[in-house]
Amino acid sequence: MGVIIFLSLVLLASTTSKDPSPGWSRSVRDSRNMDCERMDGETASARHPGLIEAPGPRGDNIERSALVCRERVMAEGLRPARDEAVLMDLDDTVSGFALAAGSLRSDLTERTWLVEVHYPSAPVSSKIAFAAKNALNSQGLRVSDRAMTLSAGDVSVLTRLPPGEAWPAACRRYAAGGLGEGDALLAVVTRDPRETQLHAGICDRGQWTWLL
Amino acid sequence: MRGLSIIACALLGAALGAPALAADAVEEARLAELDRVRAEIANQVHLAAFDLVDELVYGWMSDPVFERPTPVVLAGVTVPTGLGSGMQALLENHIAAALVHNPSSNIQLVHCPTCTAVVVHSGPEGTVVTRGYDNPEVLAELGDATGKHALFIDVEAEGAGLVLRARLTRLTPELPIVWSHTIAASSSAPALLRQPEALKSAAEARQEYLDVLRGRGTVDIPVRLTVRSYARSYDPGAVAAPPFLWLQTGVEIGATDARAWTSSLLVGYSFIPQAYQGISGQARVNRLLTGRARSLTRPDLYGFVGVAAVSVWGAATGSFREETLTADEIITDIEGVGPRTTFGTIQLGLDLRLGNRVGMSTYLETLPSLQRSPNLGQYVTLAGVRFQTFGTEVTFWF
Repeated sequence: MGVIIFLSLVLLASTTSKDPSPGWSRSVRDSRNMDCERMDGETASARHPGLIEAPGPRGDNIERSALVCRERVMAEGLRPARDEAVLMDLDDTVSGFALAAGSLRSDLTERTWLVEVHYPSAPVSSKIAFAAKNALNSQGLRVSDRAMTLSAGDVSVLTRLPPGEAWPAACRRYAAGGLGEGDALLAVVTRDPRETQLHAGICDRGQWTWLL
Repeated sequence: MRGLSIIACALLGAALGAPALAADAVEEARLAELDRVRAEIANQVHLAAFDLVDELVYGWMSDPVFERPTPVVLAGVTVPTGLGSGMQALLENHIAAALVHNPSSNIQLVHCPTCTAVVVHSGPEGTVVTRGYDNPEVLAELGDATGKHALFIDVEAEGAGLVLRARLTRLTPELPIVWSHTIAASSSAPALLRQPEALKSAAEARQEYLDVLRGRGTVDIPVRLTVRSYARSYDPGAVAAPPFLWLQTGVEIGATDARAWTSSLLVGYSFIPQAYQGISGQARVNRLLTGRARSLTRPDLYGFVGVAAVSVWGAATGSFREETLTADEIITDIEGVGPRTTFGTIQLGLDLRLGNRVGMSTYLETLPSLQRSPNLGQYVTLAGVRFQTFGTEVTFWF
């Protein structure tokens, strides 16, 4: 009898559902830590050989797709929620900014691009700047590691202005300072400390333009 | 009276302070738990980060950024936010090791303390505090940046994947980025653990992985040590069969991709002086129960069914008869060459394998031709079939 129970448990374990939704074998917290993507059978089989069977060459007469779920590297709660939300889609976000910046005007492709980031966390700021520089470079644009500086007096005035006015004003100050005729600045900013969406603007020859 | 008031104040203070102390303890425990989880994650992802670095260096080898060996300062290595400096040190060491072992990358790491130091520069435009590599004019004044480039590497956890970003900046006043690259990989993919001396492209590494994973057509030679124990019968005249020790070998092949199904053919020999000898032939079909592909990193559990033909002879093999032994038969067996019995068996069992190198298995076996033998009992009866044998095995694959 014991052997039967043992064999049954082993067979049960081997057929346990891999459904990522919460249930008897998975808590809500565990499900939230999954990052899932639906893909067709062929793609899934190519990406996960041995785990997902490829559809037959003549098809299976049914529409099949695979839901591939992977556990997030950083579990929920390990990083501040806003940082996690920003970093989760960082590559897509900065690629979108770079694409928009490069395609805004044809003359902008001739500029040397500088990047500035304003985000409450310094480590996350540097990561956003790194990603933005790489994204601009991958668009075929010239990018520089130079950092723009403002005098203490400028900073004192600009930090008291609302973002809608501060950035155009800062752009004018940059143009009067180190941002030359052949340079353009891509600024990635948070306009409201409560939001998780990043915004971008361009400073070119003293003119400020919001991208997104 | 004054003493009482002091005690009362102390008690009041303790009563008011207790929740704060408890809250501190809870907070400390929470932070300690977060640190533990972070360390665990760093342990899990650092191999994946090493793979990304290997891929980066391999890219430089196959398509060098510089035509000749060029001095490069490792200006900054940053790891996923929240994972601490331990992982950063590991990653820095791995980058250095991979570059030192692969000079054809043309990236020649150089030491430049002033590049990474904080420098303060005062001029007519004001006082600027920067890292050295952010202010090449100062480095030039210090005579430390001639012809150098700065390498920046960032690894970040974005969802379920790790992303490595790298850029090379020329340390001239304009600080142009001369090269940049982004590599993304899933942290759930097994780390490839490539050796720094023999880096491969991701495509080559994937092909190697598939070859190992599929393992179709590969013939293995198992060597198996088996102990068969026969159930004791409760018949008053029964003579119990002794345990049989077998040494078996043969071939095993993977019948499908990833060795989800395997089959084996083995021959065996058993010998205990003055007791018995035996030969056997055995065929088995194994099915992987834990997942759909044999794991390269975890133990695999197989279920199997098999058949065997066993022929035994010697003084101690009299029990394999379908009738109760008489005293005369026992004496004749001992004095003569003993009886010889051949019978077939059907097996059902489980096999736990570690990396297809060593395995432990147990099985139940029924002897159809000896179902009614009074000399053999049964360990279990399934669907009216008596399983008289319990086998345990240790297998080594070569």
